[in-house]
Amino acid sequence: MNSIVKDFMVPLSDYATISKGSTLYEAVLALENIKKDKNVDQSVHPHWIVLVLDKNQEVIGKMSQLNVVRALEPITEQTEIVDRISNFGFSANFIGAIREESFQNGNARDYVYTDPTKMEMKVEDFMETLVENEFIDENTSLNSAAHQLTVRNRLSLLVTREDKVVGVLRLSDVFTALITAMKKAH
Amino acid sequence: MKEIEKLFDRIVQRVNINLRELEYDVNPYVNKLIPFNQMVKFYGFYGVSPHHPLSFEFKNSNLAGSYFLGRCRVSNSLLYKSDIRGDELKKEKDLFQYQDFEIPVVDDEEIHIEDSFLIKTLVHNFSHDPETLERFFIKDTISMNYANIHGAPSDGCFLGVFSTVDLTTMRDCVIGNFSYVQAGEINHLHIPPGTVWVRNPGEFNFYYQYPENMLNDYVFLPAGSPPQGMLIDFVEDRKEAFQRIFDVVNIEQSVDVPSSASLDRYSVTKGHTTIGENVLVAQRAYLQNAWLGKGANVQENCFIINSRLEGNDVTAHGAKIIEADVGTMVFVGFNSFLRGRPDSRIVIGEDSIVMPHTIIDVKEPLTIPPGHLVWGLIQDETDLATNSISIERLKTIDSKLTVGNMFFEGNGAGFVAAFQERIHHILDANGAFFNGAEHKGHAQKNQFISFNTIQPYPEGNKKGMFPTIVIQP
Repeated sequence: MNSIVKDFMVPLSDYATISKGSTLYEAVLALENIKKDKNVDQSVHPHWIVLVLDKNQEVIGKMSQLNVVRALEPITEQTEIVDRISNFGFSANFIGAIREESFQNGNARDYVYTDPTKMEMKVEDFMETLVENEFIDENTSLNSAAHQLTVRNRLSLLVTREDKVVGVLRLSDVFTALITAMKKAH
Repeated sequence: MKEIEKLFDRIVQRVNINLRELEYDVNPYVNKLIPFNQMVKFYGFYGVSPHHPLSFEFKNSNLAGSYFLGRCRVSNSLLYKSDIRGDELKKEKDLFQYQDFEIPVVDDEEIHIEDSFLIKTLVHNFSHDPETLERFFIKDTISMNYANIHGAPSDGCFLGVFSTVDLTTMRDCVIGNFSYVQAGEINHLHIPPGTVWVRNPGEFNFYYQYPENMLNDYVFLPAGSPPQGMLIDFVEDRKEAFQRIFDVVNIEQSVDVPSSASLDRYSVTKGHTTIGENVLVAQRAYLQNAWLGKGANVQENCFIINSRLEGNDVTAHGAKIIEADVGTMVFVGFNSFLRGRPDSRIVIGEDSIVMPHTIIDVKEPLTIPPGHLVWGLIQDETDLATNSISIERLKTIDSKLTVGNMFFEGNGAGFVAAFQERIHHILDANGAFFNGAEHKGHAQKNQFISFNTIQPYPEGNKKGMFPTIVIQP
């Protein structure tokens, strides 16, 4: 694979973005709209992430479908305790069973995932903030990028040009390149 | 007084460095909490007896109002009204059992306190860490009022008010107010206030969380202010009673004490109090109209008021029993607060276990049936139903149990056996089973302890600091 990252990244302009201060509901609509956008190539891999921008249009966080679902789940005193006890040496099976019981017993069950209050939450309250090992330079070789995805255990990396995020390199796009390279070599 | 202030700053900085990963700053909780002029007022004292080892070294430290027994080395530390009890330390050639290992102890164990600030803290028992058998260390640690460091080496930790760490090595941890931890080894953990956690990996795991708003009524440590809450008020209200026993050199005991029992001269006895055979009453214990049956023990900072303990009862460090009738072989764990009222007494049936850090505070009579385990906050019968279980039922649990804010995973029978073995060990160590010849324990060995006092510099830069002192047999 002789290509470099910028040949395979999805440009920021093709990504679903939303401004800091927007609500969870607006973020979900942004994700839905980008899927309907005829100018954005959806043919290979659909978008599953919304990037959150500050007032300078800099990326400050991202929000996956999992973040949305997690944010919509009810938080009670009981769920907070269950979250806490997961640090106290209980087995994964035990925590899973307690979580399920707590979820089933929750008095907000009827509203779960459609709670109007939750839908008005600000994106910055539940987005994933960016971490140090999340970035890769656009001129990095695709081989190196593939390796970085594995060692950093990530499904995507934010592509930078002189410290500014200009796109997203997704594992699915790298994998497509990998298949092509393997076929050529076989 | 500059030296003592410099030392305080140094300790705070060292603790904060250890807790930087938890982003915890101890400054708001300790700054100006104990006025330095208070720390120069009191003498330190140590016990001398033929039944205990004697080896002390104090260097560059303040030891105001603190008590030492056994083998202890203190350097660059502030110990304010703390009890450092080295009467259960391991001895050379002892064998320490850890899992399948029998590890020989190569030297007499010693308590090492370095760069630490302990306030009204009890240090007792021995290191249960197989990696440090001969040294029970407490280093770069601050512990607040009425904390218990019980068989728990500590490095870089902050212990909140009325917290207990028991048989656990801790590094870089914050232990919240009124939390009890017995978990073997913990690192880089921030334990929230009111956590009761007893874990033996692979065997059982017990966890209870106090409702924070209700706990705050009992124990609360606001930033920038002294500790608050009903538990603090309770202890502070009885502080005066201890004044005289620390001021007077030779004190007459006001009650009859059988020859097999021990009533520490630094304990308070009031009203119609009865001491049975093989009873142990430790220093800083408070008895008022207490009836203590054969083999009962009342440990440091315990209060027994208008109550009857039938016999072979354990009242662990810091526990308080008020207006209660306690059956035989009842264990009341560390720092528990059992408060009945004159017309609403608490009755605890025999062979029951009151978990460490339990609060029973009732305005109606409450009866705990025999053979029950109780925990957490109990203010009435309804609470009792969700905060107790019969020990026989608990023994049948083999996977999980959740009741209210209590979570249990593992083997219930193993959990019960561990507690019962521990209770038996405590009674044995305290001399409850002494038969006139065998099974001597603290009740018999602590009867003839002489106390020597040590004093700090009275003036100058070193005011409040104690000179370097080495005491050997």
